[in-house]
Amino acid sequence: MSSSALPRDALGVGLRLPHHPYLLEHWPEIGYLEIISENFLGDARPPRQKLARLAARYPIVLHGVGLNLLGHAPLDEAYLDSLCRLADDVDAPFVTDHLCWTGAHGVSHHDLLPTPYLPELVEWTAERAAHVQRRLGRPFGIENLSSYVAFRSSTFTEWEFYAEVLRRSGCWALLDVNNIYVSSQNHGFDPDAYLAAIDFSRVLQVHLAGHTIQPDGLRIDTHDHPVAAEVWALYARAWKLGGPFPTLLEWDAHIPPLPDVLAELEKAKQVRA
Amino acid sequence: MTREGPAWLAELQARFGAAIRTPLDRSSGTLAATEAAYDPRLVELLQGGRGVGAAGRLAVYNRQYWFRLFEALQDAFPLTMRLLGAWTFNGHAARFVLAHPPRGWDLDRVPHGFEAFLEAELERDAAPDRAALVESARLDAAWRAVFRAPGTRPFRPSAADASRLLEARLLPSPAVELVVEHWPLLELRRKVMAERAERRVPLPPPLPRARSWALVRTDEAIGQLPLEDREAELLALLRTAPVREALARLEQACAPGEREELPARARGWLARSVQLGFWIGTA
Repeated sequence: MSSSALPRDALGVGLRLPHHPYLLEHWPEIGYLEIISENFLGDARPPRQKLARLAARYPIVLHGVGLNLLGHAPLDEAYLDSLCRLADDVDAPFVTDHLCWTGAHGVSHHDLLPTPYLPELVEWTAERAAHVQRRLGRPFGIENLSSYVAFRSSTFTEWEFYAEVLRRSGCWALLDVNNIYVSSQNHGFDPDAYLAAIDFSRVLQVHLAGHTIQPDGLRIDTHDHPVAAEVWALYARAWKLGGPFPTLLEWDAHIPPLPDVLAELEKAKQVRA
Repeated sequence: MTREGPAWLAELQARFGAAIRTPLDRSSGTLAATEAAYDPRLVELLQGGRGVGAAGRLAVYNRQYWFRLFEALQDAFPLTMRLLGAWTFNGHAARFVLAHPPRGWDLDRVPHGFEAFLEAELERDAAPDRAALVESARLDAAWRAVFRAPGTRPFRPSAADASRLLEARLLPSPAVELVVEHWPLLELRRKVMAERAERRVPLPPPLPRARSWALVRTDEAIGQLPLEDREAELLALLRTAPVREALARLEQACAPGEREELPARARGWLARSVQLGFWIGTA
């Protein structure tokens, strides 16, 4: 399968455990499902069995949180072996992970952590991303982060760094519009400047999600709310700039019933009109 | 193979990692990040602003690290968490994570070994109800082990196998665990799993006599099969000893009145265990 296997205007949802019974009973119309790769890389049999049943009905794309693309150590080839097998098993049109580091010096933090954005990291990151794409033998998309800290030493903006890594690696973008908005509010940049730097011909899909505002004003990418109005507005501008692109809604905490998630996703059609 | 990053990145990530692994402070009765504990050389590298300083921003990751791991442990030990209550459970969880920080991409591996760690802590603290809590942690761990077990093909002995079966040791399926309960913990586990709450639940009164169960993974679920006492003993013996030896040891443990019926009953238990996929081969 190639990236063309997903229609460019496809609408999908992130597959989450509470939704399995509804999906397997009602088989609602959904353009595609995105799984968290790590939830299916282990040996446990029940998740793999359910996934096989779902993969027979829906296109499945893989979204990872454990690649550690920007970790200082060489990439974990055993992890990549497992990822390749999973991608083959579900015939994934594409695989994605984040522009971040998750672990260092043997300890994993199970979080998506930023680095300084410096020219000297571009080539190194691009090499690693290209290696992943070669290993996978299918398009590899890199997602922009929500972040809460920025480094004084950065000489690139996040979008300059991101665009340059994508360009040099030959990899693709998973553009998370909620993350752009959250980071723009946390760090005080113009989210439209971010969008303007994106080559939409290289966008595999766009992510949408809800976020939370802390009492101190920081926005946290919690995926536990409906999509914020400002994020829908940014999505509309992205669509105007570079649509069509596959769009996926993530909901990871306080997860409502699947019909409610699908109703939230359906709003994307109105926003695009 | 990919290349190592620059040395400064390794050093930065070491400092950043140490900061976000800083234990949360419990002294106020809530879990709070201690911003003053962060390495000032790291904080200086970060940009504050928009009303939140650099350390306050780092604290977001610090809290996320701990809460994510607490959640992983609570999900793996749901009954134990409810018997202890989330606050006390998280105290044990924090010490466990400090002693055994996560080592790989698999968040689901983080709880591995927690039951033994907890048992040692409860013993050290002479905690009330520790026997029940240890049993609960073992039960949660057994449930988790059965769920995580890889797919295997059950052992279906051929006629040729049957002739040498007595001298063989049966290899247990990783998708089957034997558990004993002295309190009605499996029933309580089902109840608390349906609630998804954090508050402490009282320990129910002990059972009049211990009950044995096999936790058995079927296609997409885990079933619990009641076992007779001697059946449970036999199944436990079969996990470590050849069949003939296991049968002999069981016979020795039986009272004279039991011995007469034992061969027929043991054959039945053995046949049922094979039929239900308790074994994956012989050694």
